[in-house]
Amino acid sequence: MEILVCIKQVPDDSEDIRLDNVDKVTRVVNAFDTYALEMAARCKEANGGSVTVATIGDDSAVTELKSCLAVGAQKAFLIKDPAFAEYDSVAKAKILAAAIGKIEEANGAKFDIIFCGKEATDFAKGMVGIQLASELGVGVTTDVVAVDPVDGGVSVKQETETGYNVIEMATPCVVTIQKPDYDPRYPTIKSKMAARKATINEVEVAVDDAGSLTKVLKLYEPPKKQAGIKIQEETVADSTIRAVAIMAEAKVL
Amino acid sequence: MSEYNKVTPEIIEQIKAVVDPKRVYVGEDINEDFSHDEMSIYGKKMPELVVDALTTEEVSAVMKIAYENTIPVTPRGAGTGLVGACVPIAGGIVINTTKMNKILGYDLDNFVVHVEAGVLLNDLAEDCVRQGLMYPPDPGEKFACLGGNVSTNAGGMRACKYGATRDYVRAMTVVLPDGEIVKLGSTVSKTSSGYSLLNLIVGSEGTLGIITELTLKIIPAPKEVISLVVPFENLADCISTVPKFKFNHLDPQALEFMEKAIVQKSERYIGKSVYPQVLDGIEVGAYLLVTFDGKSQDELDAIIEQASEIVLEAGAIDVLVADTPAKIKDAWAARSSFLEAIKAETNWKDGLEMLDECDVVVPLNMIAPYVEYVYGVGEKMGLQIESFGHAGDGNLHIYIIGDDQISVADFQKKADEFFDDIYAEATRVGGLVSGEHAIGSGKLEYLAKSVGPRQMEIMEGIKRVFDPKMILNPGKVCYRL
Repeated sequence: MEILVCIKQVPDDSEDIRLDNVDKVTRVVNAFDTYALEMAARCKEANGGSVTVATIGDDSAVTELKSCLAVGAQKAFLIKDPAFAEYDSVAKAKILAAAIGKIEEANGAKFDIIFCGKEATDFAKGMVGIQLASELGVGVTTDVVAVDPVDGGVSVKQETETGYNVIEMATPCVVTIQKPDYDPRYPTIKSKMAARKATINEVEVAVDDAGSLTKVLKLYEPPKKQAGIKIQEETVADSTIRAVAIMAEAKVL
Repeated sequence: MSEYNKVTPEIIEQIKAVVDPKRVYVGEDINEDFSHDEMSIYGKKMPELVVDALTTEEVSAVMKIAYENTIPVTPRGAGTGLVGACVPIAGGIVINTTKMNKILGYDLDNFVVHVEAGVLLNDLAEDCVRQGLMYPPDPGEKFACLGGNVSTNAGGMRACKYGATRDYVRAMTVVLPDGEIVKLGSTVSKTSSGYSLLNLIVGSEGTLGIITELTLKIIPAPKEVISLVVPFENLADCISTVPKFKFNHLDPQALEFMEKAIVQKSERYIGKSVYPQVLDGIEVGAYLLVTFDGKSQDELDAIIEQASEIVLEAGAIDVLVADTPAKIKDAWAARSSFLEAIKAETNWKDGLEMLDECDVVVPLNMIAPYVEYVYGVGEKMGLQIESFGHAGDGNLHIYIIGDDQISVADFQKKADEFFDDIYAEATRVGGLVSGEHAIGSGKLEYLAKSVGPRQMEIMEGIKRVFDPKMILNPGKVCYRL
């Protein structure tokens, strides 16, 4: 299977992230994208084919793409766009859709399946995978925890709130990946060193109507909640009387 | 043995006159937690009175009353100890320092921080990180109080490069058993000024005085950190690599060895699967977990490349690299959860925890033969054993675990026999009783056997100079009840 994994750079959420320090936090591959890459790598190891990773970004994304080459991807493409931070999900999906054609041309093969993380850990919108399927005019299944090839397509296991759905899809298609019951592999020293020396392919796409439909106007922290009032009178009856008195004072009764 | 008096209603009133009565607890108001630490196997005992102290002056006032009336006093922090050191085995008063939890301020010209003794290690560590600083001592238990860390000279993972708690104590305020307040040490970085009373208090487990404030050395935080998970076929190969790092001018921040069984148990407990069990068709037997710190990613890349060459040459199956904060955290999460994982996976008779441990420290070249010896003894006695430890400093943690097939009495008997044997072997190979958990009441007899009567007498003599009535934390370290 020829697999494409779309990744996004996000701040490492194992660090203390605040709006005033977010630029200083280490950048890593979005956790759900790392699950997607691991699933893709296992799929490739079991069934043959190859795994390509791609991201939209600037030169700073090269580090993350290389880190993917150390844990199961064979090829990496940077879809270079200096304005990437401004794009919303729809614009990103359009750019990805256009870039996929160029990547397939460079690879000399069409992708059978495109993996995206179910959402990014920074903004958690969960839209790019679905929008991408729409742009490409192919099927999509969300919250996927397993992918297996079947005749003419793939069988995927979708996690739901009550259990699992097993769905067969024709390829090419898009899946968005939920955390499976295994962890992404660690790079080995050899794979890490080899990845460090690897070259990252670059593609540029010109999309006329890539304009975002939404725009982030402002990011701000929610106001801090006021501390609650602790009522701890000698008896339960006294505590109740005090609670009622406080509520009366606050005019909620 | 000293004769101690009971806490009478008059004494309670005297204490309530010097400490807000809301922070003085007697009888049924005392939380059961005050009767034990993390190893209840060394015995439980409820105190007669507990004081939540807020200031050095309060500790002093309570000590004066206790001293005049010859009532035993046990200082206590978060109660996370592993040798019974904070258990009031002679009854009397417990002075709880956990509410003395303020970080008083940083002096960045001298690279020190002033704290109250009840500040949690975790709180100081996180506060330092926010300011680009590091308090290097890194004991596994992050929710211990710094006063307790100093009292046991706690070590931890980073002792390999940075040393133990003792190396970071510059000054302290101590309340002596008669209530007098003394200030020991200063912010200076060297001293040749008489006997170091400061260093005598470090590691004295609350038997000489009660630490109320500390001045601790801090350092600028390393800019970059990276960890390696190195699987080996067997423990001997794994441990034999340790000295090779130093020979090659590599200075790991932390260097831990772990056997596969306990890593698997721990990963089941935390729901992770970071450590490979089979690699290239080879069954993994043990892992080294190594952390390096440095000034830049490039510097670290060069270091891990060199370190990898060393371990691969020494027989490592492969080298896995934890190169993001999340990966480092996951790799270390397994190491940090061993005790909880053991507890979670064992069925004890009637829910009684039958778990005993020792933390001997042996010379580096003796780690592998010593661990092999320990397993041999365990097998002969039919005991379940788990071991892991700080490969970089020879400090081993060996646990024996009972199950629902054995009674508490039988377990304790077997444990005594097992520990008698392995402590004697540790002494024989040039090791010491405790690397970082200290002595308390649980390891007193093993210390006596290891160091002999003359040294025990000297230690008891020192205690008597500080504490003529032997009221402060009696029954611990060197002084038997």
